This record gives sequence, C-alpha cells and structure tokens, in this order.
Amino acid sequence: MSAPVNIPVNIPVNVYEPYRAGLPPLGEYGRSLWSRRHFIAEFSRSQLREQNYGSFFGQLWLVLNPLLLSGVYFLLIFIIGGRGGADRYVHLTSSLFFFYLISNSLTGGVKSITAGQRLILNTAFPRIMLPISASVIAVFKFVPTLIVFFVIRTIIGAPFSWQMLWSIPIFILGVLMGLGMAIAVSCINVYFRDIASLLPYMTRSLIYLSPILYEASTLSERMRTLEIANPIFNLLDAWSQVMVYAQAPTLSSLLISLAWATLILLIGTYFFLSRERDFAVRF
Amino acid sequence: MISLSVSSAHPPHGIAISVQSVGLTYSTSVDKKPTIKGRIRRFGRGGKYSRSIDAISDVSIDIHYGTVLGIIGSNGAGKSSLMRVVAGIIPPSQGRVEVYGSVSTLLALGVGFNASLTGRENVYLGGLAAGMTREEIDAQFDEIAAFSELGESIDSPMRTYSSGMYARLAFSVAATVKPDILIIDEVLSTGDARFKKKSLNRIKELRTEDRALILVSHALATIEDVCNEVIWLHKGKVMARGEPEQIINQYREFMQVKRSASSDEDV
Repeated sequence: MSAPVNIPVNIPVNVYEPYRAGLPPLGEYGRSLWSRRHFIAEFSRSQLREQNYGSFFGQLWLVLNPLLLSGVYFLLIFIIGGRGGADRYVHLTSSLFFFYLISNSLTGGVKSITAGQRLILNTAFPRIMLPISASVIAVFKFVPTLIVFFVIRTIIGAPFSWQMLWSIPIFILGVLMGLGMAIAVSCINVYFRDIASLLPYMTRSLIYLSPILYEASTLSERMRTLEIANPIFNLLDAWSQVMVYAQAPTLSSLLISLAWATLILLIGTYFFLSRERDFAVRF
Repeated sequence: MISLSVSSAHPPHGIAISVQSVGLTYSTSVDKKPTIKGRIRRFGRGGKYSRSIDAISDVSIDIHYGTVLGIIGSNGAGKSSLMRVVAGIIPPSQGRVEVYGSVSTLLALGVGFNASLTGRENVYLGGLAAGMTREEIDAQFDEIAAFSELGESIDSPMRTYSSGMYARLAFSVAATVKPDILIIDEVLSTGDARFKKKSLNRIKELRTEDRALILVSHALATIEDVCNEVIWLHKGKVMARGEPEQIINQYREFMQVKRSASSDEDV
C-alpha cells in the first residue's frame, strides 16, 4: 500500500492488531501485492541468474535437460511397451514439458517461504509474492522447451490447425494449477519441513499417474478411475489432444481441469493468507 | 504493509507510533525444525508440540516525531520483538499498534536475503519488497553505494562479504531512504570504528523535527550521545522511560555494571 501524500493528521497509515485465523483485508492485500509486481519480476530474474540460466550454456541446459529426459522416457516406453513411433514421441515430449511447467512450480515453491527467511524477518510485505515468483520462474523455464517442442513436431510432421489455439487456455490453467500447488506447499513446508524431502516422490508418482508415458485413451476402464485422484490428468490429456493431434479438447476435460485448478488455488491461498502473519515467528 | 515510497505529511512533534497495551506471545515448536516425522514420533505420548514464550507483555508507548528513542535492556528483554511488531512484521498477540508514517527497518539480519546474489541485487530486491519503485532505488543507489564504501564489492555475491561489509550495506540502505520513522536494531556493532562514527554522524543528521528514530543498542554511551529519550525494557515489560542519563544510570545499577568500556560500546 502506498501512503497517500496528504494524510489527515490523526489517521494512522498502518494499524497492527492481533489476528485470529482468518483472512487479512483482501482489498488492501491485493493493492499491496500489485504495488510490488516489480519485485516478483526482479526476484524471478535474479533466481534464474543464480541458477546460471543467465549464461549461454545455462540456457542450453534448460532445453537439453527436458530433451534428454524425454529421450530416456522414450527408451523406457519403447522397451516396456515394445512400440515406439513418431506420434508417441510427440505425445511424450509435449506432455512431459507441460508436466514440468507444473512440477517446477511445485518444487520451486516448496522452499520459497523457508528460504526467504531473512527477508520475512526484516520486511513487511505480502508473503504470497514468494510462491508467485516460483511459478513465474517455472513459466520462464517452460518457454524454451515449448519452442523445442514446436521444432520437434514440425520435423516429425504433426498436423497444424486453428484448434491449437486451445493451448492458450490450457496453458493458463496449467499455470494456475502450478501456482495453487506452490502456494499450498510453501505454506505446509513452514509447519512440516520434511515435505520438501517427500516432494520428489510425490512428483514422481504424479508422472506415472498422468497420461505422459501412455495416452489416456489406452487406459483400461478400471485404471481410468485413478484419474479422479489426479488433478492434472485431464489437463495433460487436453494438452496432448491439442498439441499432438491439433484437435479441440473435450469440454469435460476442460471443465474438470478448471474445477481442480480453482479448488487448489482457492484452498491454497486461503490457508496461506490466514497463516502468513504467523510465518515470521516460525523460523 | 509498510511503504517507503512516499513520505506522508505530518506535523512536527505529532504522534508517530502509538503502542497500546501490546503483548506478544511466541508459540515455538519444541523441535528444532517442525517435521511430520517428529509429530508421528510423539503421537499418542501426550507430549507438547510447542511451548509459548511471552516476549512482550502489556507495553504502551507513544512515540512522537522529533524523538530519538533509545531502547535498552538485557538479552531477551523483548527489544527486537517489539521492533518487529512496530514494523508490522509480526502481529501483536494483544493490544494495538498505530503507525503514522512510512517506516524503514534495519533489523539485526540486515539487507536483502539471498547471500548468493550480489550486494546490488540485494539492495534492489530488498527495496522492491519494501514497496519502493525501481526508479526510487535507481535514484538513490549511487548514494547508497558511496556511503557503504564497498567499492567494487557491491557487485560481488554477498556470501563473500564480511559481517562488517554486510552491516555497512544494510545501514547505508536504511539511512539513505529517509523514511518518516527509522528503526535501527543493533547493527552498528559490527562496523569498524570509522564506519561506526560515520553512521553515528548520519543518525545525527537524520534527527529532524519531522522524523522519529528508534535505536536499539547495548552501546550505552552511543544511546546517551544520540538519543533524547530512553526506554528500558526488561523481560518484556517497560521498566522505565525518560531522560537518557537517568534511565541509563538506573539500568547500570540494576545490572550491577559500572560505567566501563564494555558497557559503553560493543566489544
């Protein structure tokens, strides 16, 4: 919140009072967050620089890493499934890269609060900026892989059509999903520090539960019940429909993904906002 | 949320901060780090997961513009906790704090937060987080860098800094933004003698009618030299408030330390 220039003499600029578990005044919180949007951009940039993505080989690695991963997974499905094929490779890369958009947000977000300890103990600011930055970083990391993916699918000769514009709302849903997860998990990690160690196992399980190494349509009826417990199942399926086959996604997959993304974001944000004033005393 | 960006108009000697019967109770985890593993291990044994510590109890203070307030007290008296409550970093458990102006804090940990980033990046990040705009930081950056005397080290990662360099940069940031209310908590102690003197001079320059300064320190001679009012905190309560000389003498008697080099300055 920026203090207005001409403040009446006896109106306090800030009032701090005890809080019971509940939300802070949302309007003021939103304004305060908006006024610090440059922080989010600068913070994300500096984090990327810190992880060496400012250098040429750092950026190259950003592309090489998912490419190598997709190569390894392709080997896996080739050996187990006994079937390769260009369209399977396109499906694998598109889904895997999109999956990493969400999982990078999650893994970057988990320690965002505990790693921001110094700043939190010294400055009053909306703490939610830190997990938001983690999601922004995940988007920055996603962009080069998207370019690589388009090169791959052009070489392989996958079809193009206007239906591919559906990828924009699906991408937004993916970002919101990742953001909701980052916000929730960063808050949980303040209270249970071992969540960060459990996270690799969770994301690994999520890879196998999602239609990445296989296509959703090849699953048996019994196995499809698993998708109920997987928030990103329908989202990845819709992404593959659009990016691999250049077809419109099913309405149900969009609606289910929208419901999941909204649910996770709302619940995560509610817990975060009602807890964040407590973070400074938890270090 | 605090804002450094705009100085609000306020009358000289008007009220800057009103602390009304504030109490603060920390509930800290018994474990060093709270984990699920720890929870499960104690599950069903009826052990306590947390204990509470009363850091501040029933403190009421009015601070007016034009005041340079020194806060003294032994370790654990609640000085830093009180400063965090006033800065809006930790909400009080009881009572109410009203702040009538922009606040800049220089608390024990110093500027920024990421040691692997350079001093320059930390200044920008810290400033942006505190609500300054990039242009405001741009405009003041040269002054900050010059005052800190870090030279080219400003572009080295902060993990390569000595604690004195850290403190110098932190002080330079807080003292350059010229807020309505400046809170300095125990940061001058790590600088060398020359920088300490320079900082003290800067603090004296900042003493104006329309600014409130709060200085937390164990260096009693500094407090006596700079402040025009002193509060003595002990175990979360205000023991005394008044003229620096008088309060400091009471505190010395209470702590049974005579005036000496070690009680005057940090050693």
